[in-house]
Amino acid sequence: MDAGALIATIGFDDKHVLPSLRQLPYDRLLLVGGRDSFRSPAFRRLRSFEPSLQSVRVNPFDFGNCLRAIENVVEREREKGPVRISATGGTKILTTAAILAAFHEGVEAWYCDPDPIRLPILRGVRITADFSPAEVFIAQRLRRSTPLTNLIPLMMSGGFARRTILTAVRSLVTKGLFESAIESGRATVRPTPRLGLVRPHIRLEPGKA
Amino acid sequence: MLFGTLGWRPQSLLPSIRSTSHLDRVAFYHSDHAKSRDARAKVVEFCRGLGVPCTAVEVSDAYDLLQVAGQIRADVRKEKSAGMDLRFNIAGGTRLMSSAALLVCILEGIPATYVHDETYRELALPLLRMTYGEGLTRKQREVLAFLVKNREKSFSETALARALGVHKATMNHHLRKLESMGTIERQADPADGRRLVIVPASGIELLLG
Repeated sequence: MDAGALIATIGFDDKHVLPSLRQLPYDRLLLVGGRDSFRSPAFRRLRSFEPSLQSVRVNPFDFGNCLRAIENVVEREREKGPVRISATGGTKILTTAAILAAFHEGVEAWYCDPDPIRLPILRGVRITADFSPAEVFIAQRLRRSTPLTNLIPLMMSGGFARRTILTAVRSLVTKGLFESAIESGRATVRPTPRLGLVRPHIRLEPGKA
Repeated sequence: MLFGTLGWRPQSLLPSIRSTSHLDRVAFYHSDHAKSRDARAKVVEFCRGLGVPCTAVEVSDAYDLLQVAGQIRADVRKEKSAGMDLRFNIAGGTRLMSSAALLVCILEGIPATYVHDETYRELALPLLRMTYGEGLTRKQREVLAFLVKNREKSFSETALARALGVHKATMNHHLRKLESMGTIERQADPADGRRLVIVPASGIELLLG
């Protein structure tokens, strides 16, 4: 049986990584850390007993970089089998990004220090799972401030009803991904900065045939 | 209202206090370490200077993720139900306190920020304003809540169906879904190896709130 991939965050020492390796099953081990982490004696020790481990280099003080890197690794590894994340070692930014990536991608996440604690993440449920097709359409296409009078015909050409469009806009505003405002006397919607980081995850989940 | 976690450096929280407009109240969590208490005194003094009421909460065990998350979540829910507009700075405190605060923000859909360790620049985390636990159906939540409430008792699938007044085929459907999401496990009954009992995953109470 495939035990899957374990993606573990690492700092300068291995004391946060070792409990994860001891307690979580894995076939493939991927360590995510900064440049200096991979030059540390701790990493050399880990490599000596786990020669096949893969290293994923990030800037551990750049949240966006950490988040994107971990999500890309999850995306790639989930095609091969189950994926687990251990968000225990490394900088706080790196562990925060790892936890958030686990929620975004719907993969198991653990905190092992030293006892393993499973974080309350629904396996297989992406955080963006309950976006309606109209919300996905708007989130994928709207890149700048757009008047509602332009948005509605655009959406209607995509086969959405006016009421569906307005409901989707309200829902996206509630989720904090869009802001509504009056500009030059016209009601407009514009994306918020957080949409840029969430957009890659907003896609239609496969439904029933 | 601004929530925050505080470590040894008040600078991790002060930028958020400065940048929040119409701030009504500040509540922050810190450990019982002497340096953390010093930082608390500085933040309290700063808030007093601004005329903003401030509540400092000393967590009993800053290394117990589930306990810290449970405590923060209870406070957040209380303020949320009172209609407060909430924001959370998760930069300070132990890595574990930060992770606990992040979990609460994701589960409750609260905007979270991080203050960079060196530049003290505030960074908004890409969280959605939506309640994560709503990814479960009402019946699934009911089953999980029952299992969490009766954690010390052991229920087989049939006993669970009887206790919740549903047909055992219906219960089997709910349990299979919950198991696929990793919220429950089936374990052999220590008293009778032929019987499987349903056990909720650790930390799943956080999902239920």
